[in-house]
Amino acid sequence: MYEIKICHLYPDLLNLYGDYGNIQALVRRLEWRGINVSVHPISIGDPFLPDAYDIVFMGGGPTNEQEILHKDLLGLKKAPLIEAVENDTVFLCICGGYQLMGQYYKLSDGTELECLGAMNHWTIDHEKRMTGNLIFEIEGLKQHPDSLVVGFENHSGKTYLGDGVLPLGKVLYGKGNNGEDGYEGARYRNVYCSYSHGSLLPKNPGLTDEIITLAIKRKYKDFVSLQPLNDHIETAARENLIKRFLNTPNSPK
Amino acid sequence: MKKLINKIRFFTALYLGKCAIYLLRFTGSGGTSFPGKLAMTICPDILRELGAKYRIFMVTGTNGKTTTARIMEQILQENRIKYISNKSGANLISGLITTLISDVKLNASPTSPTALLEVDEAAFRLSSKHIHPAVLVVTNFFRDQLDRYGELYNTLNVVKEGILNNPETTLVLNGDDSLCASLGKDVPNPVVYYGMDELAVPEDNNRTMSSINNDASYCLYCKTKYEYQYYSYGHLGYFKCPNCGYERPELTANVVRIPAMTSEFSTVVISTPSGVFEANINLPGLYNIYNALSAVAFAEVLGFSHKKTIEALSSFESGFGRMESISLGENNIQVILIKNPTGFSQVLKYLSSVYNSSVICFMINDNIADGRDISWLYDVDFEPLKNMQDNVSQIYVSGTRAEDMAVRLKYAGIFTDHVSIEKDAQNMLDFALDTLKPGETLFILPTYTALLDIRKILKKRFKLKNFWQ
Ligand SMILES: [Zn+2]
Repeated sequence: MYEIKICHLYPDLLNLYGDYGNIQALVRRLEWRGINVSVHPISIGDPFLPDAYDIVFMGGGPTNEQEILHKDLLGLKKAPLIEAVENDTVFLCICGGYQLMGQYYKLSDGTELECLGAMNHWTIDHEKRMTGNLIFEIEGLKQHPDSLVVGFENHSGKTYLGDGVLPLGKVLYGKGNNGEDGYEGARYRNVYCSYSHGSLLPKNPGLTDEIITLAIKRKYKDFVSLQPLNDHIETAARENLIKRFLNTPNSPK
Repeated sequence: MKKLINKIRFFTALYLGKCAIYLLRFTGSGGTSFPGKLAMTICPDILRELGAKYRIFMVTGTNGKTTTARIMEQILQENRIKYISNKSGANLISGLITTLISDVKLNASPTSPTALLEVDEAAFRLSSKHIHPAVLVVTNFFRDQLDRYGELYNTLNVVKEGILNNPETTLVLNGDDSLCASLGKDVPNPVVYYGMDELAVPEDNNRTMSSINNDASYCLYCKTKYEYQYYSYGHLGYFKCPNCGYERPELTANVVRIPAMTSEFSTVVISTPSGVFEANINLPGLYNIYNALSAVAFAEVLGFSHKKTIEALSSFESGFGRMESISLGENNIQVILIKNPTGFSQVLKYLSSVYNSSVICFMINDNIADGRDISWLYDVDFEPLKNMQDNVSQIYVSGTRAEDMAVRLKYAGIFTDHVSIEKDAQNMLDFALDTLKPGETLFILPTYTALLDIRKILKKRFKLKNFWQ
């Protein structure tokens, strides 16, 4: 029987904007297919073992909370996390978690906060927050009816991608990484990063299933594909927003 | 000369504001912010001028502001104190001004010398520069609509700034909330704290969500993880920082025991410096015990007798939409506002304490007043609803985000064949009333603007009185 282990990084600190929904979506969609799944919370002071997990999730948190975990992340956890990324462990990093995976976060006064450096992107603080509904298209999901991903963003940092990192998708509505280049999120090896927080996965089962498939395939070489599920409620929720924001005459872009 | 101009300005603002109030009432629109806005444009100093004429009591915080203010009102009434208050959630600066304008006479002297004002946290900072409350009650700090207010700590700092402008105000603070209690540290103000004793906290408090849904698990001062002797709900409880020693302060008003908690009321034993007494709180739910307790602490500050306080708690009727009942003979409709994860979780917990069968309507809008971001629905603990599924014959989801709510229920593991999507509020109510079997209760749980929608429909259908009355 297949078994997937999910690591929830800093669940007591990075839990803003309903990040729990993403964990719940992974868990349910594995359970509904009869796949064993367990969630392991790893926080301050807990060691992170690079080979122990199939999916690692890191959410967003308020600035105060991010300061608390900074020392722990860059100390104890830095090397094993980078090792896990390089070993193609599947990661999902949202908002603050996305920023933390990169090189640095530059504050408005010019100070550069060092980040994990697992990926080649960086973030620059911007005084105007980018808040609102977000719709983007993921190239690889093209064949799937879910290629349009719907979410909500709320960040003041503008993120820029360097060499070796690809955008996750193309923004159709909202701001995305920086509101300038039209891209949203990042992909590197098996790491997925997005500014779309909270209920990203529950409403976008196509993306969820892609992440799950990747994790199972990495662990079990004989695995072919996931059994399809009835997603009509998720589809209705997504289509409601696509209709509202993309099919109106004054929608941007 | 300047003095005269200011005086003309003040009275022009006052009279035009008063006219606007009458006109809006007359046309039945019940607008509570426009008259204040108008007056403020003409005379920017109007809040200071009017505020100086009153003894002011204020309530702020994330959850329970309105309920707490209503209980405090009841306490004032029992003690025969004449007061004015801002009723229908008009808790921004403009609403405060409208409230005071409607009370003052034409010569600008107050009709009621006391004002009881519920204020939004951000509005409190603004108002603090102009008006100086005798007492400020702070209920709690939980994550609220983050896309509007920024982060939780910002909200805390905003209130802190407001307090720094008012060093003489007596603070009534929630001692079980590490965030709220911090407002009483290192300030010259007189402070009293309220909270719950360990023995009072219900044992069955489900802690499954607390580790992931805790708004403040690390010390505000030194960022060490708090050690809790016990939790009451959310991050409320007896917290202590093992590093710097910051801990739940000594309480002035505390619940020592809860002999009864039913779906309609709670019986509590409260201890204050002037003695121990038992009271019935005419509202269900642990969160309402906290609301009542903050009002008791307020009464203690004013030196009111326990007898009057007990009367007030037991005779209290809930305010606009926070929890409202309509009796339809064999059935009952209850409307309960939901606006953030902790509030919603507590309401679900309350529903699970109701034993008879029910139909539940969730109305989720994403207008600015509701919070445009609905991801907070994923921070709500749906476990109580899951456990009571056998008692729920049908669930309706409605509002601009009806489908999102349906998805949320699906991922919470609530049987989806019980869930119908009815985006239109009128249709939802019609269908829900049709499915209602004799003896069943219809629970309607709307977000703020959805509450306004359903209130309008219910008002027409069942002839409810206008909500500003
Ligand atoms: Zn400390």
